Amino acid sequence: MTIYLSIILFLPGVAGMLALLVPRRLAGWTLVTGTLLTLAYTIVMLARFKIGGGMQFVTDDNWISELGIRYHLGVDGLNLFLVILTALLWVPASIAAALREWDRPRLFMMFMGLSETAVLGAFMAQDLALFVVFFDLMLVPFYFLVGMWGGEDRVYATTKLVIYTLAGSLLMLAAAVALGVMATPAGGHISFSLATLAQHPLSGGSQYWLFILFAVAFLVKAPAFPLHGWMPDAYREAPLPVILVFSAVVSKVGVYGFLRIVLPVLPQASVHFQELMLAIAVVSILYGSILAFSQDEARLVLGYSSVAQLGFIILGIFSLDPKGGQGAVMQMINHGLVTAPLFLIIGYLAIRAQGRDSLDWMGGMALRAPVLAGVFLIVALATLAMPGSANFVGELYILFGTFQSKIVYGIVASAGVVLAAVYMIRFYQRAMHNPVGPQVESRDLALGPELGVIAPLVLVILALGVYPNFLLHRINAFAPTANDRTEVSVIK
Amino acid sequence: MTTLLIAAAKAPVIDYKGISPLFAVAGGAVIVLMAALIRGRFAQRVLVPFLTVGALGAAIGLSIWNWHTGDSRPIVEGALAIDPLALGLSLLFYITGLATVAFAWRSRALRESGTGEFFGLMLGSIAGMTILGSAENLITLFVGIELLSIPLYVMCASDVRRETSLESGLKYLVIGSVGSATLLYGLALIYGATGHTGFAEINNAIGNSVNLTDPLLLTGIALAAAGLAFKASVAPFHAWTPDVYEGAPTPVTAFMAVATKTAAFAVILRFFLEALVSAQEQWAPALAALAVITIIVGNVGAIAQNSLKRMLAWSGVAQAGYMLAGVVVGTQLGLQATAFYLAMYLFMNLAAFGVVIARERVSEHGDGLKSLEGLGSASPLLAWPMTIAMLSLAGFPATAGFIGKFYLISAAVDGNWAWLGVMIVVGSMLSLVYYLRVIAVMWMTPLKIELPGRPRRARREVQPVAGWSPEADPRAQPEVLLVTLIMAAATIFFGIVPSPLFHLAHDVGTSISALFS
Amino acid sequence: MNVTWYLVLSAFIFAMGAAGVLTRRNPLVVLLCLELMLNAGNLALIAFSRMWGNADGQIFALVVMVVAACEVVVGLGIIVGIFRRRIPEDVDALSELRG
Repeated sequence: MTIYLSIILFLPGVAGMLALLVPRRLAGWTLVTGTLLTLAYTIVMLARFKIGGGMQFVTDDNWISELGIRYHLGVDGLNLFLVILTALLWVPASIAAALREWDRPRLFMMFMGLSETAVLGAFMAQDLALFVVFFDLMLVPFYFLVGMWGGEDRVYATTKLVIYTLAGSLLMLAAAVALGVMATPAGGHISFSLATLAQHPLSGGSQYWLFILFAVAFLVKAPAFPLHGWMPDAYREAPLPVILVFSAVVSKVGVYGFLRIVLPVLPQASVHFQELMLAIAVVSILYGSILAFSQDEARLVLGYSSVAQLGFIILGIFSLDPKGGQGAVMQMINHGLVTAPLFLIIGYLAIRAQGRDSLDWMGGMALRAPVLAGVFLIVALATLAMPGSANFVGELYILFGTFQSKIVYGIVASAGVVLAAVYMIRFYQRAMHNPVGPQVESRDLALGPELGVIAPLVLVILALGVYPNFLLHRINAFAPTANDRTEVSVIK
Repeated sequence: MTTLLIAAAKAPVIDYKGISPLFAVAGGAVIVLMAALIRGRFAQRVLVPFLTVGALGAAIGLSIWNWHTGDSRPIVEGALAIDPLALGLSLLFYITGLATVAFAWRSRALRESGTGEFFGLMLGSIAGMTILGSAENLITLFVGIELLSIPLYVMCASDVRRETSLESGLKYLVIGSVGSATLLYGLALIYGATGHTGFAEINNAIGNSVNLTDPLLLTGIALAAAGLAFKASVAPFHAWTPDVYEGAPTPVTAFMAVATKTAAFAVILRFFLEALVSAQEQWAPALAALAVITIIVGNVGAIAQNSLKRMLAWSGVAQAGYMLAGVVVGTQLGLQATAFYLAMYLFMNLAAFGVVIARERVSEHGDGLKSLEGLGSASPLLAWPMTIAMLSLAGFPATAGFIGKFYLISAAVDGNWAWLGVMIVVGSMLSLVYYLRVIAVMWMTPLKIELPGRPRRARREVQPVAGWSPEADPRAQPEVLLVTLIMAAATIFFGIVPSPLFHLAHDVGTSISALFS
Repeated sequence: MNVTWYLVLSAFIFAMGAAGVLTRRNPLVVLLCLELMLNAGNLALIAFSRMWGNADGQIFALVVMVVAACEVVVGLGIIVGIFRRRIPEDVDALSELRG
């Protein structure tokens, strides 16, 4: 059986379109079916994936030959798990969405489906221009999802979100086009293929300004410290299923871009700007952790914790060390896996606290809702990278890589690990153990609609905690290797 | 004196096949005027528009019949020539004309000014554009630009009982004539510097018999550029655009925004890349500066607008800046990218104007931003085309606008104008503010807050919308709706499958062989 | 005969016309100034035509005269339209009050 990546790519989008046509009651479940089928297909792909087999299941066709844009998809050790993560997390998000009542549900489901297609496209694209297309396209569904179904200030939040991110990605568009045109030898046909671009690195001067444009786009998306202005508003206003996938998956597209595009294509600039990027990473870790500690709104705790966690990932990437890179990829998966259940839990907590997701309104649920508390504890411990969790392994690899290349940043970043423990435990404690909040209704997880959604995710977290090598082996197949690094230093 | 005699003895060779599209349009104008003399509702409501559509359809067919790749072919010796650039851009004029017929069919301007007069003038203006597109000579250039403009002045004022329409006509006339006079003076100086009026001869003379830094020539180029900038609403000569666009009847605004701008760029492309390409190093930096100013002024100006027509006017200014960047590059790729963008510009703008027209006829807010409030739930058939048009104008992928910008940027980088490419991007960022606001108004205006546990059935009622009534159903104006939907579909289609248009653009690029490939 | 003087004169007329368009408020005067600008172009064309000894400039000037006439006709038409619009305005207002 051959694996067609196009099926993975377009299945959710088609399901979303179908949801537009079926009766309103069925719209949600149409999408759920689509996401489940996508997930099933990606699992088949995982089973067929050859460890160390390089780029696999490649689809490579002409799309717009005049502009040199190819429809070039592929999966390797770097994006394999990101694709699976995407397929996996859209399932609980769409189930959560299907279980809720929406105004104009068919439109909502369509945008959810389209967003999955766009994100999958960004992860699987092996052509720079195609990547840019999907990277920008991603914003359209999220613009509508936040703007039409968000909270009070949704229009402000979504406009800010789109302007921030699209400003970044438009700069990237210019950079990508410039990269393609400048890397083309005179008279040759323009190509945006990442493999080709990586073989013909540009001269130093142009690499530098291109790096800055790419970095801005990716850092906004992450979000990293100075460019995270859109984050609090978007996290506060977005509907829960939307922010779940946004935080767990979409935020990884940016950091993935560093690994897929910036490091291979602009190696010299990556070395040149290493310290700057490490500094941004470390500041993000500290800033995110400290602000996560001081938030009262549960969503913002997770929002700022994302800033910190993505700081870690950037740290791993720009340690420019194979171990660090591997840890970064691993941490992308782990963070996605723990963020999704945390958002689900926030949703459950909010239902029990009269629809409010402020920590002040929660508290004291643990005694009468032990399953909820247990699930929450597992996920919280995984988030703070308890030994025995996959997050622990990921962070260890990242720190290990950083210590090898830039020890100072490694030491400072280690503080972030401690801070993560502080804010996660505070979050757990205030929601579960403090005096019972006003009007809290402590009822345990309902078996079907609540536990059924979150339990599989928790099982995956536990399984990966027990056997992280499952990830490591496959990721091993692609991380900046020692060879690349020496090449980099030779250019330097 | 002898030259005069020789010229008189040697009548110009006319290629009747090549000139046939022009005959179709100009002859159509006469026939339409004649047919409008027939009294009666049928003649006015059906026959005349039908004849207009027929003339435009014939022109489209004849243009396609004349299509050929490669260098230009003279149709009237020394005055007009056709090449893919001329033919391709004339197709755009004709398509815009067809859309304008649909837009204008129910408009008050048509009733006020008379069907025959309105459509006759429109065909006359289109004939001017066709001449402009194939001009090979300063004189035909000027005739074309005036034949284009003068009917437009009247069309702007055609809603004769509305003072703003008359005012917009007069304003356009005054400013347009200043532009024409400036252009004329510039052309006179260029003629003075080179002694020729033919584009090819001028280009030969520059750099050979005429010094590149000849002040007469440079002043001439500067004045001509300023005159053309008036027509294309390039900053700082754009100030008339919002006022005129707002005052003119909206179908005329749509026609001006698309066809006139395309015609202005047709002549800019031809004039600068054919007649003045030898002096490229002289004019390119100046045009680049104009492009940057235009991009910034247009986008900043659009931000504060509440009238959709004014907003589209400012956005048109900004878009002119993007396209000017393609001219500055001065390569075949730049020419192709500009021509390609012009086609994309047509689709997205006509889709947007179609929605504005459909809404302004039923909404109490006229063409105000508020007229779109809640359109997403009230009539998705209009909300989607507008959304697509706005996303495309802003340059989101999977729309025509993205491909157009991509092409322009790659042409700019390829011609060593990378910073202009970055400026296009910066302009797009600014433009998000106002394009997204339109979408937000349509889809994200306050809806009734859902209460948990509300019965499913109750939510099926239509959301009440300001100005919403059964007559506001866009299906009451099927012709406007049809054009709008077609244009929106084309915007998406060419955003995903642009190759057919690329082939045309490639042919267009071969028109001017003097350019570097 | 030196062409410079013709040029100086035409430039002067052009500048005068442009200044008039920018500063005058009366639409009729503005139209007159537009004519000045166009005719400045004509003068230059004819002078250059004489200088180069070919007829192109003269033909151009003839064409411009026709165009200028058209422009004035349209301009005057619109001005008349505006004035007429002002006079029956009250009549219209009266008709709106019926029934």
